[in-house]
Amino acid sequence: MASTDIGLGLIAIGAGIAVGLAGLGTGMAQKDIGAAAIGAITEDSKLFGKALMFMVLPETIVIFGLVIAILAAFVLPGSIIADFANAE
Amino acid sequence: MFLPESMSRIVIVGSNSCIDETIEALYDLETVHLIDHTVDADEGFTLGTPRPYSPKASERLLKVRAMEKDLGINKHTKTAPISESEIRSQITSDSVESIEKEVRAVLDKRNDLNQRITELNAKKKNLELLARLPIDQLELYSGYKSIASMVGTVSSDPTAALGDMGEVYYDSSKKEGNVVAVFVKNDDRTKAQNILSENGFMEIPVPEGTGSVKEALAATEAEIAAAEADLEVVQKETEDLFEKHKAFLRASDEELTADAEKGTLPVRIASTKYSFVIDAWVPTKEAENVKASIESRVPQTFVEIEENRGRREEEAEAAEERFKTAPTKMKHGKISKLFEYPTRMVSVPKYNEVDPTVLIAIFLPLFFGFMVGDAGYAIPFIILGIYGLKYAKLAEWRAIATVLLFGGIWAFIFGFFIFGEALGMHFIEGEHELAVASTWQGLLGLDNLPDALPWLLNGPEFDVGGPGIHKIGEEWVGFLLKLSVYVGVIHLLLGFCLAVYNKSVQHGFVHGFLDKGGQLLCFVGMVILCYGLTAFLGMTDLEENIMYTMMGVGGAIVVVGSILLARAEGAMQIIVELPDTIGIILSYTRLTAICMSKAGMALAFNYIAIEMIAMGIGGTAGAIIGFLVFVVLQLMVWTLGILSCGLHALRLQLVEFMIRFYEGDGTEFTPLKFKHIKTISDKEVKEA
Repeated sequence: MASTDIGLGLIAIGAGIAVGLAGLGTGMAQKDIGAAAIGAITEDSKLFGKALMFMVLPETIVIFGLVIAILAAFVLPGSIIADFANAE
Repeated sequence: MFLPESMSRIVIVGSNSCIDETIEALYDLETVHLIDHTVDADEGFTLGTPRPYSPKASERLLKVRAMEKDLGINKHTKTAPISESEIRSQITSDSVESIEKEVRAVLDKRNDLNQRITELNAKKKNLELLARLPIDQLELYSGYKSIASMVGTVSSDPTAALGDMGEVYYDSSKKEGNVVAVFVKNDDRTKAQNILSENGFMEIPVPEGTGSVKEALAATEAEIAAAEADLEVVQKETEDLFEKHKAFLRASDEELTADAEKGTLPVRIASTKYSFVIDAWVPTKEAENVKASIESRVPQTFVEIEENRGRREEEAEAAEERFKTAPTKMKHGKISKLFEYPTRMVSVPKYNEVDPTVLIAIFLPLFFGFMVGDAGYAIPFIILGIYGLKYAKLAEWRAIATVLLFGGIWAFIFGFFIFGEALGMHFIEGEHELAVASTWQGLLGLDNLPDALPWLLNGPEFDVGGPGIHKIGEEWVGFLLKLSVYVGVIHLLLGFCLAVYNKSVQHGFVHGFLDKGGQLLCFVGMVILCYGLTAFLGMTDLEENIMYTMMGVGGAIVVVGSILLARAEGAMQIIVELPDTIGIILSYTRLTAICMSKAGMALAFNYIAIEMIAMGIGGTAGAIIGFLVFVVLQLMVWTLGILSCGLHALRLQLVEFMIRFYEGDGTEFTPLKFKHIKTISDKEVKEA
């Protein structure tokens, strides 16, 4: 059972890294866009809609991370346990 | 249905003697969008000059606005509306001027008193400082021939530094500051000043006069009290003026604004010495009506319908510069009108392109509802939405309320009938319930439910994982992710089709298809190809021959699409477009990802709170704290629901969907009209 535990732990770490790094990536991208967007909106408040559009563009990156984490957390454990049971 | 309203261009010609009636008629119609005349557009015509009444109206408007500002009257001040004819007769009988005289007199008095009180307070402050020094006579502070006196505040004690240079009087107080009076020989003045400035010296003016400082202080205080009493009286007078004139000022502001606007209208139209020519856009269905109505109301005018503008670009390009762009009037029903805000947020649609508002009205609440997917959170959303739509005035708040209401309804439908859960807990204990999850059935202790109830409360039975869909359950993750991908494919396909449609409307089908068909075919081909590939990689079950056919057909469509794309936008675009197709489809997995992450948060929070209550630590107090934790944490999930679900649902519309086809940058249809708020138009009075 110990090896399944280690396997599950590694999956959890993997899921965490997927969300964490993707979040960092999104944050880095949004930092620059956000600063520029605020500048543009200050000049002309009508640009809010377009600025928002650019602002949320990088959010896709973190969503991909989240999806990978969800797949890792929910789909992988089942297959690992099944593999382990087969091996036994 | 999706294109903005069809427009016609009309020309109104008349003699200058009837220009005022014509302007009135145009404003009353409320469907005429004026086209500004440009200098030298037509030979022999110049821009008109403002009407004679316009400068006087502007001048009066300026006075009225100034009085409103001084009396604190603004658009939120509640007043009873006055009929237009009455307010007009009051304005012409110089009411504005007489009221201004009355108001000015009181306000001048108020300003004088305020200034006097400020001066007296400054004097009082100085006297209070002096009163702390041992010199009690005001005349002793100044008027010496060979001695220089310096009085002021300091940050630290200068006595030691000044030494025996002269007389130094010092008093320190932590609360009121340190005060010093220094008397030195004229020769030592600069030296003493240097020492004082090192100690943070700030000079204070010694009030003029003679006699005791304390008496002067008492006299000043008495003066302040008297001035404040006077101010109170004046304040009361101001309030009386506010009450007395608020209705007149609000109504005359509105009436004079209208006059000023109407009076300067001739500046926007073409005129000669004896006649004027007005070019304007009107909705096609109203054109005949507008013509008949103007000609019957002002018999000296002639109206002609110049053209019914089609959607083809060639028509616009053939027109004169100022007639090129027809304005966009979005046509919507009561509900879809509420969703105009997100469209406007990007841009007003062009005259000849699809207005995406109806589609946003369908998909935005649907996506929001799916991501929330919880009956418990849905109900407050619905209540908040109804409340907002009923009371909110600001366009932004109304837009948010709209999404909350319709999104809330979808959230309830998904939450109750599909996911079968409220506040992150399932109604009924399912087969695959997680060990840490609580259910309403378990919490309320309902063991034997009638046969019909489980189906109703737990959603339809699927052959994947028993009844109901569990957001957090490994049986369902794959299903939900696939579902969101399919939704994405449908939504995007619609977007790509609309791109082709827009171009077809503007340039004809062949041109439209050659221009935008490449993207559409690449998308369709990639979807079919990728579906075949998933079977090839063993992720879905497909018969082998179907799988290879799909891959073949998909590949062929991609090749055709790429050729079209390369022709329209260059070969580089193929490298961008093909991988992007996968990216934008996978972007829709956020529907499931956010749905699940919210459910996961609610699960964890419920576990914490319910464990706290169930374990019974601290007796009743513990249970109450547990309940409070439950409320706070649930509120957090709910608030995050608005932010993340709302923003992501909107993003899917604005980024993934609208970028496919939407260009925007249209000119909004802004007819000449005037909104009566504080005045009642003569027409209404007659009708009443």
